[in-house]
Amino acid sequence: MNFLRPIQALNASPTGQTSLLEVRDLHTHFLTDGGTVKAVNGVSFEIERGERIAIVGESGSGKSAMAMSLLRLLAYPGKVVAGQINLNGRDLNRMSERQLNHIRGREVGTIFQDPMSSLDPVMKIADQMIPPIMRHLDMNSEKARAEAIGWLDRVGIPDAGRRIDAYPFEMSGGMRQRVMIAMALSGRPKLMIADEPTTALDVTIQAQIVELLKELTSETGAGMIFITHDLGLVARFAHKVGVMYAGKLVEFGPVKDIFARPCHPYTQSLLDTIPPVDQAERRKLAQIPGFPPDMKLPLVGCAFKDRCAAAHERCFVEAPDLTLRGPGHRAACWKPEGLGEARRKDAELVPPMTHSEEDRVVVEVFNLHKHFTGRSVLPWKVPPTVRAVNGISLNIREGETLGIVGESGCGKSTVARLLLGLDPATSGDIYVDGMAQMVFQDPASSFNPKMMLADIIQEPLVVTGWGNRMERAARTRELLAQVGLDESYMSRYPNQLSGGQRQRIAIARALALKPSVVVADEPTSALDVSVRAQIINLMVDLKRQLRVSFVFISHDLLTVSYISDKIAVMYLGEVVEYGAADEVFRNPAHPYTQALIAAVPVPDPVAEEARMKKPLSGELPSPLDLPSGCAFASRCPRATDHCRAEKPLLQAYSKSREAACHYAN
Amino acid sequence: MLTYSLKRLAQLFVTVLGVVTLVFFTMRMIPGDPISAMAGDNLSGAALDQMRTQMGLNESLLMQYLTYLGSLAVLDFGNTVTTKLPIIQLILDALPVTVSIAVGTIILTVLISIPLGTLAAYMAHKGHKTLDNAITGVAMVLDLMPSFWTSLVCLLIFSLALGWFPASGTVTIDDPVQLMRRIALPVLVLSMAQIATMARITRTSVLEVLSEDYVRTARSMGWSELRVLFRHALKNAALPIVTVVGLSFGNLLNGTVIVEFIFTLPGIGNLLVGGINSRDYQMVQTLILFYALIFVIINFATDLVYRVFDPRVQF
Repeated sequence: MNFLRPIQALNASPTGQTSLLEVRDLHTHFLTDGGTVKAVNGVSFEIERGERIAIVGESGSGKSAMAMSLLRLLAYPGKVVAGQINLNGRDLNRMSERQLNHIRGREVGTIFQDPMSSLDPVMKIADQMIPPIMRHLDMNSEKARAEAIGWLDRVGIPDAGRRIDAYPFEMSGGMRQRVMIAMALSGRPKLMIADEPTTALDVTIQAQIVELLKELTSETGAGMIFITHDLGLVARFAHKVGVMYAGKLVEFGPVKDIFARPCHPYTQSLLDTIPPVDQAERRKLAQIPGFPPDMKLPLVGCAFKDRCAAAHERCFVEAPDLTLRGPGHRAACWKPEGLGEARRKDAELVPPMTHSEEDRVVVEVFNLHKHFTGRSVLPWKVPPTVRAVNGISLNIREGETLGIVGESGCGKSTVARLLLGLDPATSGDIYVDGMAQMVFQDPASSFNPKMMLADIIQEPLVVTGWGNRMERAARTRELLAQVGLDESYMSRYPNQLSGGQRQRIAIARALALKPSVVVADEPTSALDVSVRAQIINLMVDLKRQLRVSFVFISHDLLTVSYISDKIAVMYLGEVVEYGAADEVFRNPAHPYTQALIAAVPVPDPVAEEARMKKPLSGELPSPLDLPSGCAFASRCPRATDHCRAEKPLLQAYSKSREAACHYAN
Repeated sequence: MLTYSLKRLAQLFVTVLGVVTLVFFTMRMIPGDPISAMAGDNLSGAALDQMRTQMGLNESLLMQYLTYLGSLAVLDFGNTVTTKLPIIQLILDALPVTVSIAVGTIILTVLISIPLGTLAAYMAHKGHKTLDNAITGVAMVLDLMPSFWTSLVCLLIFSLALGWFPASGTVTIDDPVQLMRRIALPVLVLSMAQIATMARITRTSVLEVLSEDYVRTARSMGWSELRVLFRHALKNAALPIVTVVGLSFGNLLNGTVIVEFIFTLPGIGNLLVGGINSRDYQMVQTLILFYALIFVIINFATDLVYRVFDPRVQF
């Protein structure tokens, strides 16, 4: 395929030439009824040809608004109010819509976050892909179709010639994102803008997509802007990184330099909030106190001053500009070292909790099954059955945290529902000593918006007839204190809370009846990294203080391994590896666990370079027709005929670990 | 698809049986019967009674009901009480007029309301509130006017004052020009009520789709606003619109009865009014059966149209 040839400009020495993209003093405002939100507040950076730049920041930092401003893809009331966007020397910001439509899809390709909603659901892939190619590359429909099939094949769509006539709903999320990438590349763009392209995907699929994007940008020589909140991905993917805070770039530079020597207090804090990979001893995660500033209000001084431990007088009156800190490394802070001494290199140690065989077992699950049987209209047809949970056994002791990990569709959320008794099990035993309570992923939708927080927290008490009004109020105050909120929250409403505060309330409510186990299904997935650290620290404290057990379900392996004592790795409704968290994470026995851990990007560019980059191929097979042998055999690099014929049972691997693999030892 | 069709057929059967039964008994609850309506005060009690026996009206209700079902089973719809003409013939003669009005109304409504609603949605999406408010405002005013009133107003202005359209006169499908001139005003009146609803649904539906991610994807591929609007937004917004078009057919059947009466058009609506006035049980029962059939068929067609607009719909 000739279009995969690198563009010439990459080979020519770029010195003295203009950059591929040069953004100068970009300002984007959202003109809402409640006031003007200054989402992007003077951002400047440049991208050279073939360069991958990551822009990181928390929600509300303006990183997506910035990326969408480049091609004027902002929805009303967003508007680029000032700045230059020079692509190969031409200012996109001064172009008419008509001119810009010759840039969009041709010179600049865009990949969006959610593959499930980014493709037109009622149009075939062919009808979405071919017309743009015909338009941008001036091809007839036959040639354009061949070109489209070529791209689909290149991004790893099996049987592309046939699949091009499929509708998006006939494909998985990972496949749709591949289609999206093929679409974005089909105009042979010189620049790609990817807005959180892997956030909605499983970690294994994310690893595949990231590798694909790396390969494709190297092959085509296209530059890339990659918006993300995942610092691990930055380390794995980017050449350079820009950190955004309150609509501004606060630090920008080569990725290794920034990870090794961050200069801005915000960058430093962000890096410290990530659970460490090396688990020799557990320390408390760094938290960033306070909230980002309200972008509707005028800002005096540095935007980060209120949350910065190193802030001094000058920060409150004058905003620092980006200054050079190393080759290509710029940061916007008055202090050369940022937090410097105030940075908690040695955070408070979390004393290890001791668990012994004598501890009370609070949850015991034996050979649990949950099958969902469909209905078949024709009486002689066997109805389809999904084996969501297919024979798992677990136990949790008092004060212990069990982490359950696996790709979406592996049955981990079904286990949670079964533990809570929300669904009846098909067969098997669940024994809970005491009570199980739940914390949801999205607390906002689990609260009645018309109820005061005191009533929300007290609801379980009222339902069970616990105490009188005075006693319940006292208990509510106690619970609020336990989750780190003061009494004034009792009379507030859910919409007055931030994401982290909501999750604290959800935890308080779950603790109200003194349960023996709290089941938390993705409790930190919807939260920003700094807030996530707060919630994790809180849960670690709670389990020490109250000796309450947690079941922590998440796809975020770093977080699970940090918080859990034990880990159960699930694949297609079965536990394939089960044992002490540190051991499972540091020395995984099952090939699936190994692949999952290899897929998780670690926030260290040097370590990332050295890691094995062969992502797990394929996707989770349909749970409708499970193979007779090992369920993982279809994706396993070590699978043999023995695996396909005989199902491996969960067997002791070491003293504190079990694995279901014929070749684990 | 086969199981689906069978299911729908079973549903059709149950619906029709229910409707027929309901009409049979309610008609007989209305005071008076065909004989008294026809004879007035002119005949003696004995003569009336004899006529009733002849028509089987002196049998028990259950007996009459079973006889009626039996005749339905062999597709015998009977004759009118007064003129003794076969009812099915009368209906088939009147049906084209009513269908013309209904189809004309749907076409006019769709042609006006969908572009209008789409325009309103686009303007709202871009933050131009004035035009959006104007369109929504006009739609609301149209919606508030009852059709029996607008009928009279239209008749007054366009037929009596301006003389553009005839207010009466014979109508046959053999003379399409005359037919068009006669049904123009009824179609206009019925459309006014429908346009309001349909434009509002279109606006809401398109506005929602315009903020979907795939619309942004289409923009990111360099398509113009017009193409984005018509190729992506409208096609995705079609489902609710199709639903409303299908449902509005039911309202339309209602509306045709009123306009046919006011504009003295020989459609099935007028037959129905006449049938009720003369307590012609057979006539009313058969007409209602027809209305039910039309309704069920339209619903079925709506479901099939879904499939055209959304490949995710499976039968």
